[in-house]
Amino acid sequence: MTALLRYQTDLLLRSQRWLPPVILYAAFLGVCVQSGQPVLDSLGYTAAALLPVSAWLVRICVTGEPPAARACVAAARGPARAHLACLLTALLAAVLLGVAATVVVTLISAPADNGHRVHVPPPRALAAGLPAALACALLGTAVGALTNAPVLRSTGRAVPATLLGALLALVWAGSPAQAAVSGLVTGSQTGRAPLPLLPLAGAALLTAAAFAAAAWLGARRSP
Amino acid sequence: MTLMHRDLRLTAVGRRYGIRGPWVLRGVDLVIAPGTLTRIEGANGTGKSTLLRLLARLDVPSEGRITGRPRTAYVPERFPSALPFTAAGYLTHLGTVHGLGRDAAARAALTWLERFGAGGYAGTPMARLSKGSSQKVAVAQALLGDPELLVLDEAWTGLDAAARAELERAVAERTAAGGAVVFVDHDPRRLAGVPDATYTVTGGGLLRRTDSGGGTADGPVTVVLAEGPAGAPLPPEAVRTARSTRETAPGRHRLTVPASHSDVLLRALLTARPPWHVARVEPGTADAPHSDPESRP
Repeated sequence: MTALLRYQTDLLLRSQRWLPPVILYAAFLGVCVQSGQPVLDSLGYTAAALLPVSAWLVRICVTGEPPAARACVAAARGPARAHLACLLTALLAAVLLGVAATVVVTLISAPADNGHRVHVPPPRALAAGLPAALACALLGTAVGALTNAPVLRSTGRAVPATLLGALLALVWAGSPAQAAVSGLVTGSQTGRAPLPLLPLAGAALLTAAAFAAAAWLGARRSP
Repeated sequence: MTLMHRDLRLTAVGRRYGIRGPWVLRGVDLVIAPGTLTRIEGANGTGKSTLLRLLARLDVPSEGRITGRPRTAYVPERFPSALPFTAAGYLTHLGTVHGLGRDAAARAALTWLERFGAGGYAGTPMARLSKGSSQKVAVAQALLGDPELLVLDEAWTGLDAAARAELERAVAERTAAGGAVVFVDHDPRRLAGVPDATYTVTGGGLLRRTDSGGGTADGPVTVVLAEGPAGAPLPPEAVRTARSTRETAPGRHRLTVPASHSDVLLRALLTARPPWHVARVEPGTADAPHSDPESRP
């Protein structure tokens, strides 16, 4: 698996197709997150925007490898593992991006609640923001895994499905990502930083199931 | 080197795309044993590539069963050059995917590129490779890891003459080392007379050809004159590789071998204990096999 992950990571980095989502994410944060704003509120935006970006990264990883090149790798290690390596690479990229963004936003934001009355120490904010960002990265890659090949193979269906899936994952009341983000936003009103471990665990479970389903289907559907 | 422990076995295998799609293949029974060379023939669109994809375990059958999981390498019909690596960089990655360490993979990458006459392209980005050079990379990635099963889907197409011959020799080495090779090629003279079995895909089924796979006397041959201890039998590996053998004088043997397998035969003779002396190697005209009482059946 290490060899597959190295190969996929190198493929992603060299293809430079990661640039558009990363630039868009940076631009979104640049507009929505100003330095000196309440930290928890800003971390909520940071986590929420990471979800569609993660789904996009999955699409990049899944479509980045020409089918014949995929076949060479799949013959050696099995199609399921080859696809899983793709998904894990996207997840890794999303997590790295989320962690970096969370740390930067924590450092530049005001360590206080919305009314600037209650002090929110940066380490406490980081402890709240990191699991939320992780939950969004996980759920975003889960959405990407279920809305791209081998589940939906035509671009015309995959792209709208990814967008819709990402939107639902953010606003649907039962979604771990929605729970994590709204926890941060309400925390910003009260000044009490939540620790969204339950949403994180839920997102991890959902993502594991989504990855397993996509990899299982990847071994059964010829491109 | 670990070799394939079990046969790859297809039992009543069928494949169709979609729940109600027409059957591309049906009722296919096939055994791929270690150390054998198998040729698959058939007209365009009969399901040859589907069969190869099933053998490489890239696809699962809609019905029936496939057992055995040798370490497999696959050469696709058309290999894309749209990968953001250099030739050597890509091959090093694929070497590690095939189970080599990073250093061993980098060394093997250069060795195989040189064998196919593409050593000068090691540092060239794949996007700038010609179609032929990119096919050499496709073939090299499959041979890097000494696979137990090598599946070649028209792998010779696009290669220059020297590389085509080199790939035939590489196939001979693989089977001599105990690996299985399955191939499809549009040229009927490809490895003519060498396959242990030839199958024709027709009407979704598989027929075994009984006329010894395209005529034994078809392909180019090499004649080897070897001398050994008087009265000593030829090394078994040499007998297995040679198409025909004849003792011209006590201890002197004339061996006829498919040109692709001459290296394998020489290696068998020179590494035998005690080693045999190779007196002469020359391109030959094929003996008519039936006139030779010792010819391989």
